[in-house]
Parts: sequence; structure tokens; C-alpha cells
Amino acid sequence: MLQNVIIGQYYPAESPLHKMDSRSKLIAAFVYLFIVFLANNWLTYGILTVFTVFTITASKVPMRFLYKGLKPILILVVFTMLLHIFLTKEGDLLYKAGWLEIYEGGVKQGIFIAMRLLLLVMMTSLLTLTTTPIDITDGLEHLLGPLKKWKLPVHEFALMMSISLRFIPTLLQETEKIMKAQMARGADFTTGSLKERAKAFVPLLVPLFVSSFKRAEELALAMEARGYRGGEGRTRLRALEWNKRDSIAIVLLALLTIFLILLRS
Amino acid sequence: MEISIKQLQHLYMQGTPFERRALHNVTLHIADGTFFALIGHTGSGKSTLIQHLNGLLKPSSGSVQLGETLIKAGGKKQNLKPLRRKAGIVFQYPEHQLFEETVEKDIMFGPMNFGVSESEAKNIASNVIEMVGLPQTVLSKSPFDLSGGQMRRVAIAGVLAMNPEVLILDEPTAGLDPAGRVEIMDLFYRLHQTNHLTTVLVTHSMEDASKYADEIAVMHKGELYLHGNPSQIFSQREALQKVGLDIPETVQFLLKWNELSGQNLSLHEFTIEELAKRISETLKKRGN
Repeated sequence: MLQNVIIGQYYPAESPLHKMDSRSKLIAAFVYLFIVFLANNWLTYGILTVFTVFTITASKVPMRFLYKGLKPILILVVFTMLLHIFLTKEGDLLYKAGWLEIYEGGVKQGIFIAMRLLLLVMMTSLLTLTTTPIDITDGLEHLLGPLKKWKLPVHEFALMMSISLRFIPTLLQETEKIMKAQMARGADFTTGSLKERAKAFVPLLVPLFVSSFKRAEELALAMEARGYRGGEGRTRLRALEWNKRDSIAIVLLALLTIFLILLRS
Repeated sequence: MEISIKQLQHLYMQGTPFERRALHNVTLHIADGTFFALIGHTGSGKSTLIQHLNGLLKPSSGSVQLGETLIKAGGKKQNLKPLRRKAGIVFQYPEHQLFEETVEKDIMFGPMNFGVSESEAKNIASNVIEMVGLPQTVLSKSPFDLSGGQMRRVAIAGVLAMNPEVLILDEPTAGLDPAGRVEIMDLFYRLHQTNHLTTVLVTHSMEDASKYADEIAVMHKGELYLHGNPSQIFSQREALQKVGLDIPETVQFLLKWNELSGQNLSLHEFTIEELAKRISETLKKRGN
């Protein structure tokens, strides 16, 4: 029922990408977010695509799996692409039918924007697909560590994040369970007008809220019972380890950035 | 209503690395009016199996038939509402599904989904609340103000309100105190007899199974491991122990009694009353 959500879903496999330190992956994904915007011609987009495909292959996450996560945003991608194709009036006129005019520049722009969106989403989902949520938050806590000097509650922030990530599957399971229980009592979540459907969710949301509050209270109690006192002086069971492959990845990314800057028009 | 399951297989998360086989090649026939107990350890596939009985899960292969309705793998989408009205499921911890402002409204939710009028649904609510042993005054309360045991009863009332022909119970007494357990199970048994229901009880408890069931099936790792009437099942102690189960205490007592007294009592009823009667009879004979 809710099996197609891959945001925040980990794909277990043995690959160099899985073995990388979460800090290097976070830095890489963050840098990638920016350098995608450097590309502005066929060559630079080509390089970026080759790099991304290479990374996906190295991660051993099957394309089929990644595609399932892309599906929901595909409409958005196609929509923005069409907007650009029809509305940009640059370069040679390619086609004209009545008020509809398609220019060469528009087609180019449309394809570029679509590629940009796809590359961005693929790379960021690759981060969560190859890194467990716990590792991501650990990495974030480390990277944001310096901000503690300015009294930013970095540890608490990371804890909040790992708790919410931890409970996404639980919440999904719970949702499915309650949905089934209400469906067994004749509830219908899939047909009817928009208003009817919105109303149909009340029997689902109320129990979910009730159990979430209950669970939060129990979790807080369990943490206190085990003497949790925040991040001060806390050691880790699994320390993060920066290896050679992490340095190599960062160097590769730096090279990519340099190429993009040199080759963009 | 007759239930017929043929070579049922179910895979969770089919086509992903998380794929897991929950049921494999289960063939089972449950005659109309049977009190059927499904026993097995956590993860043996009991809950998955019963969710097939009203179309909440679709078979990955094989088929499930309830009365006239046939659900098979790859079959067309069909309107399952009539089936869902006839086959009521009381899920594990059913109190988690309560959501309305008042108990009455929550009980009316099921019937009204199946097209019963509001006034009729109110009638039903006041009937079923008595059935589960709660006073009429509870109807106007918020379900969230009740105790755990009362909430459980309200949730059960919500399923009974649909007046199902097949009652599917997924560990209905989990987490209740001993007195509550007996009361709830007796309630289901009474209903089973007076309304001529077909009942499927999922349980860990051999005692419950021995006390109420006409037929028992043992599940192990998604497959049907043993199937038969209680005396057939309980005569296979070794097979049961192999999958971490055991015969009920009454039967254990009987075996020990036979061993120590040199008698050879056989049991057909597995209740404490029956056992006590048999033993007192033999003692009296000896006295004479």
C-alpha cells in the first residue's frame, strides 16, 4: 500500500558508496546541489550526467529502484520542461502553428531544466539510499559541531532528526494497520469526491495522533529511565571513520567542479 | 459461511530487496459454522493469512473463497464491501482504531459505512454495547476516557455492529487481565453459537484453542504445519514441541496422570471440567 515511498529509505548493499563516511557523502551531496547550477551547455551537462551515472553504478542501487522514487516528481519535471519549451522565445524558430511557437532556445532550455531536476533528485536520493538514517544524523552532528560555540543546540537538533527518521517506518506501519482496521469496518479511502475523501481520513488521523503522542511520552520516559542527559560528554558506539575512499571522492568532486567552471559558456 | 483457501502464497514488498515470503502453499478448508483456531509463533503467517479472508491483502498466487466471493491472484478489481460486511475482523489491540467523539458514534461507523440508516445504527449500537457487557451510559462517553479493557470491548462492539457471518479474531485477548480474557472469550463463544457464526481465532494460547475450537491449524514459517481436530493435534506432542509449542496443560496433566496411576484415560473434551469429571469417576470406581 505504502511501498513506493523511497524518500529516506535505505537500500542495503555492499558498495564503495555504502562504505563511505557519511560526512564525505553529505559534503559531496551538498556541493553537488550547487555545482549542478554551473552547467549551462551540452558539454557541461554531459559531464555531469556521466558523473552521476557513474556514481549510481558504483552504488549498486538498481535503476529500477531509483526510478520508483523518481516517479512522483516526473510530472513536475515534464511540466517545467513544457513550460520552458513553449514560453522561451530565443534562437531560431523551429515550429509555428497559430499562436503556438517553438524556438530552438526554448527546447534547449526545457531539456536542460529537466536534466537539472532529475540529476538533483537522483543524487540526493542516492544519499539516503546508501546511508542509514543514523549515519546521516551522526554525520550532520559532526559537520555542524563547530556551531556549538555559538550555543546552537546541534546535538538536540540531530537527536530530533534521528528520532523522526527512526519513526517514519513505524508510523507507516501504524498507518497501514489502522487503515486496514477501518477498511474492515467499511471505510473507503480511494473513491468519492475530494470532500468525502478528506473526511474519510479522520478515522485514520485521529488514532494516529493518539498513538504518536502516547509513543512520544513513552520514549521520553524510557530515555530518562536510562539516564539520558543530552550530548555533553557522550561517546559513540560506532565512531565515524574518514578513509582514503572519502578523500578520493572529495578530490573527484573538486575535479568535476573545476571542469564545469572551465567548460561552461 | 464456508471458507476455502487454495495454494495461497503471499509475498510482502514483492520486487524489492526487502521481499519476504509470508505464506507458502497454504490449502485449507473451513466448513460453515466451525470454530477454527489458528496457532503459531510470531511471524508464522497467521495474521497475513486472516487478512486475506476479507480482501485486505491479495494473494500473490493461489486463491481464497468466502461463500460466493472468490479472490484470486491477478484477478480483476472487485467491490469488496459486501465481503467486508460479512467477514468482520477484530484486529490485535483493536482499541487503537477508536476515533470518534463518543462511543456510540464509533460503533455506528461500521454499519453506516455499509448503508444502514442513522436511527437503525443507533439501535444496533445500544444492542451491541450490552452484548459486550458494558452499560448503556458508556455510549455517550468519549472512547478515550475509558479504561483499556473497556476500550477493547467498545472496539469489539464496533465490529459486531456489522453483524458479520464470519468473525475473525486476531489475538483478541492480548494484554487483558485473566478475568477479562475469560469474559471476552466466553462472549465470542456465545456469539458463535447463538448467531451460527464461522469463527477464526488466531492465538498463541493452546488453552484457548483446546477450550473453544472444533478444528485447529498450526502454522510454521508461513506454511501449514498441522491441521486437524483438537485430539488429533494434541496427540502429536513431539511435532508441536519441534516448533516451540506444547499441548495444553489439561492434556499434560492427563498424560502425567496416566503415567503415574497406570490408567489409560483418553480425552475428547479438553476442558478442566471434563478432566475433573473423568478423574473423579475413576477414583469412585476404585473406592467401590
